[in-house]
Amino acid sequence: MRDFVATALAYSVNREIQLFSNGFDAVNSLESGQSADIILSDVYIPELNGFELLSAIKKKFPRKACILMSSIPSDEETARRLGADAFIGKPFSANALFQVVQKFVATDEEPPPPPPTS
Amino acid sequence: MLRLGANPLNMKEMDLDDIFTSRLQLLIIMAKAYLKGYPLGKYRAKAIIANAEHVELEAEELGRELRRMQDGAETAVEHYADHAFYQRIQLLARMAKAFARGNPGEPYRKEALKRNLDHICDQIAFYRQIGEIEFLKVA
Repeated sequence: MRDFVATALAYSVNREIQLFSNGFDAVNSLESGQSADIILSDVYIPELNGFELLSAIKKKFPRKACILMSSIPSDEETARRLGADAFIGKPFSANALFQVVQKFVATDEEPPPPPPTS
Repeated sequence: MLRLGANPLNMKEMDLDDIFTSRLQLLIIMAKAYLKGYPLGKYRAKAIIANAEHVELEAEELGRELRRMQDGAETAVEHYADHAFYQRIQLLARMAKAFARGNPGEPYRKEALKRNLDHICDQIAFYRQIGEIEFLKVA
């Protein structure tokens, strides 16, 4: 699923998407000065879970947009309480990721067209 | 907080079928965007090729699985329709890789791509109409 998300985002913004195998690496990357428009993470990831990652990022980089994904309904409320900018319930389609990009990513690229209606 | 994706009642972990469906939808959007003349760009082209590779392999596997399941159980017409659907998806994936690699998109090629897309979208709408979405759930 991670590859699908990265592919859909790369297509949408026409930029490189950085992938991390755990939350620590994502935080370390930001601390080392790497820029990122949004941070999108599953709640259930190794080492540092999505909630811990969200808290760490919001503490150090409050203006970064953080989006959490989960298949557990109760995670939505926790995400809201911790300051997530968006919550994506699984399963989701590419349209959800396009909406995230339209909302949070400043882009000079022409956005992809609306999804087919059929 | 922006809320997207499945509503709480329908939330579940994404399995291979969900991911294939999402990837196929993404491939359809990519092809329609190309036909409408949206700019490609380096990373966008790379994403199209990566997605098409996934969809092509998965459609090939699903088509094989479907043939095994349908052997002797369905009419020849139904068998052909389902088999042709997966063939069309594989064709769409190859067409997408071609345009993402910059192969010339002469009008007749774009017309063939458009016809293939229309067939796939019609077939998806038809399956949804009769409630047989399981055609994507044979893995």
